[in-house]
Amino acid sequence: MKKLADRVFLLCAAAALLSVPALTLARVSARQSLYYENRTLADKPAWDWEAVLEGDWFSSWEEWYSDRVPGRTTLLRLTAKADLDLLKRPVVNDVVVSGDKLLPFLPYGRWDTRVHRTNAEPFAEDLGAFSRRVEELGGRFWFVGIPEQGPYFYDHYPPELENRRWNSTAANAAFFQALEDHGVAYVDMEAVYDAQGRPEAYYSAVDHHYRWRGALAAYEAVLDRINGDAGWALPVMREADLNIRALPNPYLGSRNRKLYGLWPSEERAEIGELKQPIPFTRKDDGQACGAEVYALPGSEEQLVTYGLYMGGDHGETVIRTNRPELPNALIFGDSFTNAMETLLYTSFNETRSLDLRYYEEKSLREYVEEYRPEVVLCVRDNTAFYTSGGNARVWTDETPGA
Amino acid sequence: MVFSSMTFLFGFLPVLLAFYFLLPQRFRRGRNGVLLVFSLLFYAWGGLRLLGLMAVSIAVNYCGGLLAAPGRRFRRWAMWGAVAVNLALLGWFKYAGFLAENLVLLGLPVEPPEVTLPIGISFFTFQGMSYVLDVYRGEAPAERSPLRVALYIALFPQLVAGPIVRYTTVAGEIASRRETAGDAADGGVRFCVGLAKKMLLANALGQVADAAFRSRTVLSTAMAWLGALAYTGQIYFDFSGYSDMAIGLGRVFGFHFLENFNYPYLSRSATEFWRRWHISLSSWFRDYVYIPLGGSRCGPARQAGNILAVWLLTGLWHGAAWNFLLWGLYYAALLLGERFLWGRALERAPAALRHGYALFFIVVGWVLFRAESLADVSLMLRALFGISAPGGLGSGEALYYFKEFRWELLLAVPAALPLKGLLERRLNRRAREGSRPAAALLAWGPPALALALLALSAVKLVSSTFNPFIYFRF
Repeated sequence: MKKLADRVFLLCAAAALLSVPALTLARVSARQSLYYENRTLADKPAWDWEAVLEGDWFSSWEEWYSDRVPGRTTLLRLTAKADLDLLKRPVVNDVVVSGDKLLPFLPYGRWDTRVHRTNAEPFAEDLGAFSRRVEELGGRFWFVGIPEQGPYFYDHYPPELENRRWNSTAANAAFFQALEDHGVAYVDMEAVYDAQGRPEAYYSAVDHHYRWRGALAAYEAVLDRINGDAGWALPVMREADLNIRALPNPYLGSRNRKLYGLWPSEERAEIGELKQPIPFTRKDDGQACGAEVYALPGSEEQLVTYGLYMGGDHGETVIRTNRPELPNALIFGDSFTNAMETLLYTSFNETRSLDLRYYEEKSLREYVEEYRPEVVLCVRDNTAFYTSGGNARVWTDETPGA
Repeated sequence: MVFSSMTFLFGFLPVLLAFYFLLPQRFRRGRNGVLLVFSLLFYAWGGLRLLGLMAVSIAVNYCGGLLAAPGRRFRRWAMWGAVAVNLALLGWFKYAGFLAENLVLLGLPVEPPEVTLPIGISFFTFQGMSYVLDVYRGEAPAERSPLRVALYIALFPQLVAGPIVRYTTVAGEIASRRETAGDAADGGVRFCVGLAKKMLLANALGQVADAAFRSRTVLSTAMAWLGALAYTGQIYFDFSGYSDMAIGLGRVFGFHFLENFNYPYLSRSATEFWRRWHISLSSWFRDYVYIPLGGSRCGPARQAGNILAVWLLTGLWHGAAWNFLLWGLYYAALLLGERFLWGRALERAPAALRHGYALFFIVVGWVLFRAESLADVSLMLRALFGISAPGGLGSGEALYYFKEFRWELLLAVPAALPLKGLLERRLNRRAREGSRPAAALLAWGPPALALALLALSAVKLVSSTFNPFIYFRF
């Protein structure tokens, strides 16, 4: 019996060892990206003698192979399923799953939070210089700080897990103090949300962004602030001006995406349509496109992501409403701008939006000098306050993509 | 290249097996040639420049062996010459930086060299030296074929993380061996078990240990103990898992390497622990350092000196850092204590107490070993004993890591015990008594379990990015 068992084992092992490379090679160009991992597949390592001598060329094949292994997504999904339902781990794929919201896992540690004041200085200095330049050109600049979902729901972390409230509070305060010291006008949306009772409905339970209602509240607060500071009377869309509806489609938030959509969630994406539509034209990266601010799904079963708002991130978006009595606005920032942009255009003649992570034509300073908008907004979430590059590159002549 | 990688499991290994087993068994030189070429490729995967060092090591030990053989003139010089070159290579690549850094600390104008540690250098250098020394002592024949010496030194299963195989163990099998389906199956099962130890247990426990050792500012007593225990598990499953894979792969190709671990955490003393842990290294130091120095056949002072020398070297072998030296001294002190002070009392103590004693000192020893600096050693030890732990006695961090990795932590306990042998003995007895289910379980159980473990490990391999082998840095 042992002989038979040995031979069956050897056959099975050989089949496993041979089938994986054979299937991988057979399907090598079948796809280019990994949807749930939200990234493209690793490139085939390029031949380079230095890398061969140092071993980097060989080790790069590991990632290439691992990305293309047949059934990769199924295997990863199974692993996540086992971690969630069988092993009941409190954190899966760096997402806290043991509370009522999906939150980012934050490593433990303590440090001196006074360091934030020093760290904030270069960012505030750049924003201050940029703000002064906008004013020299006849415009006004406001920085809008928005809490990210993790810090917003800090009190939803299970008690044994680190929420870093002690750090985010100090970091935000230091950043806004630095902005104040450099004469930058800002809107601290966390304070606004707090004043409204920090409503849970403003933020997604399964995505790192706010929900559309959170964006609406931010839009209202920002427009009220602009009107107050500048003494203008820009039109502001309120809830009463909108038909707000939830899409029936399942919503795949970014955190649930890391769990392969396995977290049971009834959350639905909301959109707000104007009761009195304002006609507009839209161009993305110089190309005319449909006059839509929502990328609505084709069917009710189709998964919806945060990319619903403005169709995701674009280097440059220009929306014209042809109302010359209103000022022109420029908004730049990361993806938190997207949901807000679905409303912002209603208050301006022309609204331009830049995402400096993707926009490569010219520097922000050059853009502003040429365009000369009356209103400039920078929208950033508080986990990005201290990150350089991308939308933090406000005071440099280098083009952002360089 | 590491065994627990896609490129090894589903690239290198199937191609090697195909080339190797497509050659008829009678073409022994051909099969050895395939093994040598693939072994060199395996090593070159870490960087082609490493092949130069490997070539020097092979050449020095091959020539050293020929010239140090009994009957040769100046054979003593040849032996010392080969040992000196081996030690010089090891010294330069592993210790030059450490030495220079310490000279700089003493205020000397020394520029620390930028040397990258070649993987596995401690293993293949010791293996090469053992060959020359065995030939010099007349315990092994001088090998005339450079390819056989090259294959012995570069043989990929044990090349980068041991076990340290003596030439006498494999000399006969290099020249003539018979690969069988039974051996291949047993080797394959052993490989899968080793891979699972690494992928399913060691990597998970490593995450707990890493968290504890980098916790510093929030380290609590509970986290320190959890981390120390997790590291105790990690290093065992990591290293013994690698040895299982090496021994298993050896079996597939017809080699029978000696065991490197014998359930070390069952030990009842530090002395016993070192008879069960990394057996190939302990026996290397015993045979080539301790006994030549006089071993135990001398006065207590000399014995103590010999033990101290061996353990300082053992500490240094593991790494060029002060904490490794401290770890070596720690074991020297324990072994001396057991030999001259409390050994007899320990033998009379109840078994449970002896196990507890050994395990306690082993765990504390791993703290010295794992810490990245003497300051970290001090912090961890203070936290372990509740003396000014920054995070207090308990912490959310400890609770979280326990919850997150509770399955691996719990599974690690039976996995470190000799339950397999116990079960096998019972089943064998029942099979001999005529039980067909027992016989079926004995025959089909291990292969079925191995295939399941291979599948689970492969899933982990694809999904996990946390995959470091601890013993590669030695």
